[in-house]
Amino acid sequence: MRKTYRILPVYTGDVSGAASALYEFGGMTVIHDPSGCNSTYNTHDETRWFDKESLIYISGLNDIDAITGNDNKFINDICAAAEIMRPRFIALANSPLPYLNGTDFKGICRVLEEKTGLPCFYINTNAMHDYSKGQSEAFLSFAKKMLRDPERKVKNGVNIIGMTPLDLTSTEIHLSGGYELVSNWGLNTSYENAVRATEAELNIAVSSSGIAACKYMQEEYGIPYVKGLPWDGRPCDYTETVREKTKNYIVGEPVISGSVAAYIKTKTSIDYNVIATTEITDGLLLDCDRKCHGEEELEEALKDAENIIADPMVRLISPANADFIELPHFALSGRLYLKKIPDLMKPDLYYPGI
Amino acid sequence: MPTSSDERVRIGDAEFPKPFVNGLEFNAPVHGTWNIVHIGFRIPEAHQIYICADNCLRGVVMTAAEMGELGRFSSVVLEEDDMTHSGRIEETTIEGVTDCLRKLPKIPSVVIVFPVCVHRFMGCDIGYIYKELEKRFPDVIFIRGFMDPVMQKRGTTPDQRLRKAMSDIIPKLPAKEDTVAFAGSDMPASENDFKKILEFNAKTVKDTADCRTLEEYLSVGESSLFICQYPAGLMAAKAITQRLDRKYIYCPLSFDFDTVEEEIRQSGLSVPDRFFEDGKDACMAELKKLKDLIGDMPVAVDYTAVPKPLSLARFLADNGINVKTVYLDAVDGNEKADFEYLQNNFPDLILHSTMHVSDRRPVRSKEKVLAIGQKAAWFEGTGNFVNIIEGGGLYGFSGICEFIRLMEDAFNNSKDMRDIVPRKGLGCRSCI
Repeated sequence: MRKTYRILPVYTGDVSGAASALYEFGGMTVIHDPSGCNSTYNTHDETRWFDKESLIYISGLNDIDAITGNDNKFINDICAAAEIMRPRFIALANSPLPYLNGTDFKGICRVLEEKTGLPCFYINTNAMHDYSKGQSEAFLSFAKKMLRDPERKVKNGVNIIGMTPLDLTSTEIHLSGGYELVSNWGLNTSYENAVRATEAELNIAVSSSGIAACKYMQEEYGIPYVKGLPWDGRPCDYTETVREKTKNYIVGEPVISGSVAAYIKTKTSIDYNVIATTEITDGLLLDCDRKCHGEEELEEALKDAENIIADPMVRLISPANADFIELPHFALSGRLYLKKIPDLMKPDLYYPGI
Repeated sequence: MPTSSDERVRIGDAEFPKPFVNGLEFNAPVHGTWNIVHIGFRIPEAHQIYICADNCLRGVVMTAAEMGELGRFSSVVLEEDDMTHSGRIEETTIEGVTDCLRKLPKIPSVVIVFPVCVHRFMGCDIGYIYKELEKRFPDVIFIRGFMDPVMQKRGTTPDQRLRKAMSDIIPKLPAKEDTVAFAGSDMPASENDFKKILEFNAKTVKDTADCRTLEEYLSVGESSLFICQYPAGLMAAKAITQRLDRKYIYCPLSFDFDTVEEEIRQSGLSVPDRFFEDGKDACMAELKKLKDLIGDMPVAVDYTAVPKPLSLARFLADNGINVKTVYLDAVDGNEKADFEYLQNNFPDLILHSTMHVSDRRPVRSKEKVLAIGQKAAWFEGTGNFVNIIEGGGLYGFSGICEFIRLMEDAFNNSKDMRDIVPRKGLGCRSCI
C-alpha cells in the first residue's frame, strides 16, 4: 500500500520546511497547530536552535477554538507577541485542523497587518506534504510580499535560493569566476541580506524548494535562473548534462541528486539516474530519471540497482548485492547521521574516484 | 490578582494555578521528557502504528528511529483525499494498519494504534475501525492509543490516556497477597523507600516500567497492591485497580517529611524500627553537606525534573538553599499548599514560564547557577545540572538523600548540556 511505511521514516513535513526556510529572515513564523506540535520541527528538523535565534511559535490550538473557528485568540496572541518581539514580518503556516475547517488565513493576515503595521503573509501548508513544498511556498510567499525593485544592480551578483539545513547542512557556497554573492535564501543570512535579492543578476536554485521563487523573480524582476549546485564556484545547470539510462541510482531531492549525478558524469563518464523521492519535480528530471512516492515504490524501483547513492536508511530497502554509497540527507534521517553529512560541494569526499 | 503577561513573576505576585497568560508558545530545545512513543515501547514486544499527516508523523517516527526501534514501528500517511471523501479515513486507517501488520515478519501479539486529531475532528468511527481490525487479526491485542494534542489543554492528555489504554490489557489474574506492582511511571523505582519496605515485607515486586517480556508485563495483573508515583499515571492506576478490584497508593516524589511518613504509614506495610527517624536524620545530614558545598549558589528548578517542583523548592528554601527560580507553566492542584507557603514565606522566588514568546531570547544570569532539570539547565545556560526527569524513580527518605547527592554531583561535575538536553527520552537508548 502506497501510504504505509514499514522501514523508512517520512521526509520532514511542509510545516517544518516553511519554518526552516524563514528561520534566518528576521520574521516571526506562527504555526497554527496544537501545543507541542512545534516540537517535531524543533527536535528533528532544525539544527540551528543553539546558535541562532528565530521567532518560531505555535498557536497552541485547542479543540474548542478549532471547532468554533475562534480566530480572535489567534490574532490577539500574535499581536501581543509581535509587540514584545518586534519581528520584521509575520508569516502564518497552516496545519491539518485549520485546513479542514477552512480558516481564512489571508483574511487574518489583512487583520494582522492593520493591527500590527507589519507585513504579514500566509504560507500554504497543511502538514500533508513534504518539506520541499513547505520551503517552496515559504520562499515564494516571502518573495511576493517582501521584495521590491532594486535601487542598484550588482554586476555578476548571484543569489542562492533554496538553501536550508534540511538539504545542505554543512555546505558553504564559494563563488569564483567573478561572481559575487548578493543574497542567500536562507542559510547564513539575515533579513537585510534576504531583501537584497533583487539586486542580483542571476539566481541559482540549489534545491527544488528554490524553483518557485526563482520563477517569480524571473517574471517580476527579470532575473534569470539556473538550477543546480555551483560546482567549482560557477553557476551551471545540471539538466544540461546528458545522462543515459543505467542501473546506478542516486536517491533523494532532485536538484541536489541531479547535480551530483551530472558532476559524476562529467568527471568520470559514469551515468547515474536520479530517483526523486521529494515532492517537487516538474522540469527537474531527465528522461532517464524518475519520481518515486513512498517506501513501497522506492523499494520496487531499486530492485535492479547495481550502485546506489542514498541516505543510509535507504540501504534497509536496497538489494543486498548493490554497492551502496552513503549520502545522509537531514530531511530523511534527521539527527541519526547528522555528524556524517558531508559537504555536498565536495563530491570527492563522498564519491570515491572523482 | 492578574495573571502575568510576562515570562517571569514573583511568586508573591503570582496567581494560582495559572501564573501566566496563555499565548503563542515557544518550545525550548530540550527533549529529555518522554513522549507517547517512548511510553508505548514500555510494553515489551508491542508494535506501534501511527496514522497521520506527514508533518505530524515525522516527530514520532524519528523518536522511534533515534531509539533504534523502527522494527517495532509502522506508519500510515494521511493525505488530502482521506479528509475529503466520506468514509475514506476509516478505510485508509483499516487498510493501512492491515498492510503494516502483513508486511511484518511476524504478526505481533500487541499492537498500539494511534489515530490523531483529524480522526477526532472528522468524527471518524473509531469503534468500527477496531471492530474490523479485531476481526482481521483475532490473535492480536489492539491497544487504543490516540495522538491528539488538540485535546491536551482540556481534560486528559494523550499520554494519560495512553497509560490507561496500556493498563487495560493487563488481565484480571487471581490476586497474590505477596505481590505488589509499581505502575504508571516511566522511570523504574530506584532509590525508593517503598522498594525497601516491600523487600522488608518479603513482597514480590513488579514494575510496569521495567518488564522484560510481555508475559511479565501481563503478570502485573496478579498484584494485590499498585503503587503509582507519577501524576500522568494516576488515571491508569485508578482504572486498573477499579477493574481488578485491587488497592492503590498514589505517592509522587515529595520532599515533605510528614507527607512521606503519612503515605508510607497509610500503605499498611510494616516498616523497620527507627525507619522514619533514621530517614529524616540522613536527609538532614545530606542537606548540611550540600549547603556546606554550594553555599549561597542560586538554584533553579524545573517542572520536568520532579512531579512536585514547588515541594522541592520549599524543602530547599526552608533549609537555607538559595532557590532563585522555578520553571513551570502551571501549578498542579496538589501543590496548592506549597504554592501558598512559598508565597507567604519566600515571595521573591521567581516563577518562570518555559513557553512564553520572550523565552526565545532568554536573559541568562552571569552568576553560576545550579540547575535541577534539563529545562532549568537550558534557560540558565549551565552545565551544572541534575539530569533527571519525572523524579527519576526516587521516593521517600532514601530518594531525597539520593536527590541531594545528585545535586552535589551536579555542583562538582559540569555536564555537556548541549549534547545531553536535545536527546529525547532520558533513560531510553539514543542513537544520535
